[in-house]
Amino acid sequence: MTQSTGIAPGPAETAVHRRPKIVTSKQRVTWVALFLLALLVIGVVWGLSIGSQHIPLSRLPGAIFKADDSDELILQSIRMPRIVLALLVGAALAVAGALMQAVAANPLAAPEIMGVNAGAVFVVVLAVTVVPSLSGAPTILLAFGGSAAAGVSVMLLAGSGRGRVSPVRLALAGVTASSLLISLTQVLIIFDENSADSVLFWLVGGVNFAAWGDIRNLLPWLVIGLVGAFSMSRSLNLLALGDDMARGLGQNVERTRLLGSAFVVVLCGAAVSVAGPVAFIGLIVPHIVRRLAGSNYTVLLPLCAAAGSVLVLYADILSRHVKPPYEVPAGVVTALLGAPIFVYLARRQKVTSS
Amino acid sequence: MSTAIVAQHVRRITTAQRYPRAVVGSLGVLAVVLSFYSLSVGATDVSMHDVLNAVTGNTSDQAAQIVVDFQLPRVLLAWLVGTALAVSGGVMQGVIRNPLAAPDVVGVTKGAGFAGMLLLLAIPGVPVLAVVPAAFVGGLLAAGLVYLLAYRRGATPVRIALVGVAVSAAFEAGIRFLLVRNPLDVSAALIWLTGSLFGRSMSSVYEILPWVVVLVPLVLIWARKLDVLGLGDDLAAGLGEPVERTRRLLLLFAVALASSAVAVSGTIGFIGLIAPHMARRIFGGRHLASLPSAALFGVLLMLFADMIGRGLAPPLEIPAGLVTAVIGGPYFLYLLVKTGK
Repeated sequence: MTQSTGIAPGPAETAVHRRPKIVTSKQRVTWVALFLLALLVIGVVWGLSIGSQHIPLSRLPGAIFKADDSDELILQSIRMPRIVLALLVGAALAVAGALMQAVAANPLAAPEIMGVNAGAVFVVVLAVTVVPSLSGAPTILLAFGGSAAAGVSVMLLAGSGRGRVSPVRLALAGVTASSLLISLTQVLIIFDENSADSVLFWLVGGVNFAAWGDIRNLLPWLVIGLVGAFSMSRSLNLLALGDDMARGLGQNVERTRLLGSAFVVVLCGAAVSVAGPVAFIGLIVPHIVRRLAGSNYTVLLPLCAAAGSVLVLYADILSRHVKPPYEVPAGVVTALLGAPIFVYLARRQKVTSS
Repeated sequence: MSTAIVAQHVRRITTAQRYPRAVVGSLGVLAVVLSFYSLSVGATDVSMHDVLNAVTGNTSDQAAQIVVDFQLPRVLLAWLVGTALAVSGGVMQGVIRNPLAAPDVVGVTKGAGFAGMLLLLAIPGVPVLAVVPAAFVGGLLAAGLVYLLAYRRGATPVRIALVGVAVSAAFEAGIRFLLVRNPLDVSAALIWLTGSLFGRSMSSVYEILPWVVVLVPLVLIWARKLDVLGLGDDLAAGLGEPVERTRRLLLLFAVALASSAVAVSGTIGFIGLIAPHMARRIFGGRHLASLPSAALFGVLLMLFADMIGRGLAPPLEIPAGLVTAVIGGPYFLYLLVKTGK
């Protein structure tokens, strides 16, 4: 057996080579990256130019540095933060999704399904209800606690720690925990302020209340999370080979998992505490990007970030057309886009134990 | 697959199983007592004396008027909705032989909610009587979709549950989309998002009443067929049961019951899941005994949820659907953990 492989690759060997699809065509990745970049630029310009007030784009340079008249002020204080927040939130949630799917070795492990987003929302709303003066940086820290606690509880409930968890079981536990947390959140909102707008915002998430102050609070955490995630891509590639293989190659699997989960918590907690639980970004973007560009995490993670930004940006633009003068949260649109993909993924799951 | 149900079949006979009538009777008494108490809970305190006055037809004073106009429809609806949802869940769990089946798990609730809301928003002046059929169509569509999508060489319980969750998410996204397109006031919005009995009047009672009055006895007459189906397809066919036809018809009844409940109260979750389980814990797999007690458990849960929602912080209203979700979510997780072992 061992001698024959020296002459011609046996079927077993090719199978081993085929399984982890780390080899990606460089050209293809380049095209995908360029395509996303083009979409991103178009989206930014488009997003800046729509709104009830018509403003020519030539006013943009002025708006970035100083805001002299009302047009430039609108650009600077309303439209620009909205777009920047869409980009940041999309990138954060998409990368968190990819990270989570790698860490849990589970295609359905996404922050919105695992209860991580709902946990963050619940804690943020609880904090704002109990201590109304609380805002900004401390709520982000609390959101970390909420998303970490929710994620860990879901993992434990789904029975991880007793060997491999079936993706389906994990997803069901996560979705139920999410709906429980969301219900509690709604109760809190009803107690606090009885308004449909805030209920909807915390249910679906969106970037329509964006302000520069939020972005300043958010940015450092996102940078930490994104840089951390990108720097883990080699470990994630090894983890994709399976735990035993990764260990054999000298990986500290537990450390990779722990670190990856920590970055997920940072990314989701920060994004959700500002923009609410924008639906399904973390679930669908990694799947789409993996289809297009293969599963090498070195390129997958940055492309996920770009694709997530594009998705939230366009969802936000679309959401402004849902009911024109009103501001509609972008999460309504991403939920509509993402739910069919969730159905598709759910349908594909093999049930290992029932 | 059906190990959970089979396990309950072979469990030793409990006292409750020996005296089913006594248990059902005491549950009924409890539900009636809770109903009377529930009539007095709300934004305005009403004394028991006034409640009794109002119920006996003496509506001369203002408090009694409040009871008749605002509280009575809610309590009646709690009975009807609780019964409809619980019986629907019981039938589904029996027919699909799946402990995780329930109208909300297989997508019926959200599908019916979406269709009902769509109809109300698309045709503003639509007669309320048309809402139940529309919800029924939506619920049927969602259930069919879930079954089709989950079917791959047989549909395992957990896969049905997951696909159901995903399809529900799609319909829920649709409901939210409709909500932002057509801004309603907060209570109306919350009714469609989570289900509530707030602000319902007697006309809602008349809407759902015929469905419950017709379908629940029908299901009870067929309870033995449900038992037979529980033995497995081969055995049931051997006993002369047209398995496929019976199954479809029973599922149709279940979807109709759940949809009629959704049409009047919005998308209240988890009752159809929990109530049949509680009943089966007491009575085992005999549907003729477990379905009525499931219905009573459903009524108790609805009364309790509605009462908590009204009485926790009046005049604020917490939708009953939120309360049931807070009770039902942990129960579902418990079931999930238990079925995994």
